[in-house]
Amino acid sequence: MNWKNVLLLIGADMKSYRLVGGKRFRRFRENKVVTYAIYIGACVLGSSIGGLVGSFYNGIADFQLRDLVLQGAISLFMSLPTIVLLYGLVFTQMSQFQRIGSKVSVQPLYWFPITWEEHTLASILANVFGVPLAVTTFVVSGIAVSSIFMGLIPLALVTVFALIVSVFMASATTEISKVLQVRISGAITKAAGRAAIWVRLFGSIFFFIVFYAVYFSLYSQANPLVLLEMVSSGQKTLWFIPYVWPGIALSYLASGLLLETIFFSLASVAFVCLLFLAATKLNIRYGLYEMPSIRVSRGIYVSGAGFLGRLGFSSLEVAIMRKDFKAFTRRMELAYIFLFPVIFTIMPILTTMKSGAEAPVPHVLNSFLFAYLVLLPGTIMAMILGGMMIGLEGESVWYVYSSPITARSLVKAKYSFAMLFSLAVTLLCSVIGGTVWTPSVKLAMLCSLEAVFLVFSLSMVSLSFGIRGADFREMPRPRMIRPMWVIINGLICIALALAIVSPVIPYALNFFFENIQASVQISLPIPEAYLYIALPISGIIACAVAYAFYRIALKNAENFLANVERYESLMFL
Amino acid sequence: MAQSSEPSLKLTGVTKRYGDIVAVDYLNLEVMPGEVFGLLGPNGSGKSTTLKMILGLVKPDSGFVDVFGMNTQEHPVDVKRMVGYVPESPRIYEFLTGLEFLDLTGDIYGMNPSEKKKRIEEYLRALELEGREGDLISSYSEGMKQKIVVISALMHRPRLLLLDEPLSGLDPRSARIIKDLIHELASDGVTTIMSTHVLEIAQAMCDRIAIMYEGRLLALGTIDELRREARMPSSGLEEIFLKLTGTSDIRPVIEALLR
Repeated sequence: MNWKNVLLLIGADMKSYRLVGGKRFRRFRENKVVTYAIYIGACVLGSSIGGLVGSFYNGIADFQLRDLVLQGAISLFMSLPTIVLLYGLVFTQMSQFQRIGSKVSVQPLYWFPITWEEHTLASILANVFGVPLAVTTFVVSGIAVSSIFMGLIPLALVTVFALIVSVFMASATTEISKVLQVRISGAITKAAGRAAIWVRLFGSIFFFIVFYAVYFSLYSQANPLVLLEMVSSGQKTLWFIPYVWPGIALSYLASGLLLETIFFSLASVAFVCLLFLAATKLNIRYGLYEMPSIRVSRGIYVSGAGFLGRLGFSSLEVAIMRKDFKAFTRRMELAYIFLFPVIFTIMPILTTMKSGAEAPVPHVLNSFLFAYLVLLPGTIMAMILGGMMIGLEGESVWYVYSSPITARSLVKAKYSFAMLFSLAVTLLCSVIGGTVWTPSVKLAMLCSLEAVFLVFSLSMVSLSFGIRGADFREMPRPRMIRPMWVIINGLICIALALAIVSPVIPYALNFFFENIQASVQISLPIPEAYLYIALPISGIIACAVAYAFYRIALKNAENFLANVERYESLMFL
Repeated sequence: MAQSSEPSLKLTGVTKRYGDIVAVDYLNLEVMPGEVFGLLGPNGSGKSTTLKMILGLVKPDSGFVDVFGMNTQEHPVDVKRMVGYVPESPRIYEFLTGLEFLDLTGDIYGMNPSEKKKRIEEYLRALELEGREGDLISSYSEGMKQKIVVISALMHRPRLLLLDEPLSGLDPRSARIIKDLIHELASDGVTTIMSTHVLEIAQAMCDRIAIMYEGRLLALGTIDELRREARMPSSGLEEIFLKLTGTSDIRPVIEALLR
């Protein structure tokens, strides 16, 4: 093993993030402090909290309370390796997901004199950089400082060792799963034949949903102390799972059982070595695996303008929309957009089922959940889609620049796609919401119309910002819109959404107060005809917003098409 | 076909700077209809920037670019409609199949479906892509991707072709087809501006050649005119190029590398 090669490869991986840092490529000079700020920050924060905890401990006069705090700290130390392992797995896996779309991220440089062992080790260590390393730095520095005050230095040293082993275990597992995912999806693609596109899409969505379900269940533990207690007491019963061995070693040390501590520590190290060997063997076998080509069609056919053509779209606009639809169903980094309606639909239904099992669900909660499901997924979809419609062109955007596409056609095609797609989501959610919560006709009409107004206007608002803040870089992962413009877009969309729904807010409040089961009944003096005036006003505001932002989007598109030089990363065209 | 006496392309005093670097320095050029025009020069000499300015992708700091009498900055879409462009290192939509990409191109250039289908079939057959047209572009080799880009530049029958290293990565048969096709199109009045580093290709294909160096036009003319200018009556383009760009003294460089 050439350690210099390992360090060089890790350095190359870390440097790949320069491309998403919004930095200038010409006369590039790196600010090391900014690069390592996250780790420095984590260290400072961890040490400060550790110092505060230590001072607090020293300041306790009551002997019993002191002992209680000490036992709590020991219990925390014992749980940390397993908790860090779980979070490490989630974050390293997330980091891999983000890189799905990048073509060349950090490929094995197989033509260089680098062994697979060196490559695998570098990849495992590079996976750790970012959130996992920052969390570990925070925890380690906190433990180190607090243990000085509490007289737990030997236990803290072993905890730090166990944490490092756990993080390495998490990252090595992700490395193994990365290779296996590629190989298995390759086999599925081959077996699926022409249906491969759809199998891949729905398979990925299913995988993401399962992954995020695990992630949210970890995060949604109402009480972190319960989680700590669960881990510290439960890990010994799970002794046959090697991932909890570092935590078990610590708990034996806390009990003063040195032999068992040494055994589980050595077993943990042996397991890490085994994971590393497995990852290396898999990389040797499948590291340069070429995904089988996907055949979508046989024979030559050409498309016409079709249904959209009859609606007044030109063949150019239809072609752009068709291309974008294919992008969303075939580019894995875009497929996550399909998760939003699924998650937004499942969450309230689960909430209702959970509450319904305990007590009858109040009518007002049903109405609220219906409104939530009709209004939110479509609106959020419109905001996200509008913002990314231009940036999703990625480095192929030269094609848009060099083609005879007018600003008006570009805006029309991109807006229509985002709007129609979001409307379809709204329609689907309305049908599901109507079936599950059976709202009144009036409420259903109100929510559906407001959802249409929001989608109609906010798609255009987001598109105008998406054009202005487009980011075409695809390395190490496609971002599509610069973070500053995501924030601006989000804030302005929220403000405009409130403005659009503001005429119907008094009606909604009145409905809420009338139906809530409270001791004091509040009712606003709103006449029956109010809604019939408020809704058109809301629609007029939505139209005004859409038109104003259409003009802005058009102006931005004209500037965008006339000024390729603004996008420094595209100057290689 | 009767060819107009008006130039297809006219560059008047075109200058482009990137900060302190002058990429193109006061370039004056006229290219006539049906002409195959070669742009030669070392890396960073301003060839690709010139092509991008012709297409309107890059705005000149001063001067004018007119394509068929239309200013590229004032009529960008009209100009692009008449141009077929092959960039130096094209990234194409890899989530589409080759056929879908060509179908998209046909729709963008407003081709009618029957004409589009006929052209796609012809080009795919000629460049031996038949049978792979339904595969995702992500599974294509670099040469196959280049073929798709070249087809997309040619299929809508543009009046002006801007080709930046068009034959790079193509197999000999496909390269020959493209070369012959450019000649045939030229006889129909299609103008071609081609940037290349392969001097043999330029010598064999181009009616006139412009040699650029550090953004400036160093020499312009037919191969015989360039020979006369370089006072090398029996030399090939490589020797002329190296002499005119002042880079002919390469022996010491090789010796230094071998040391």
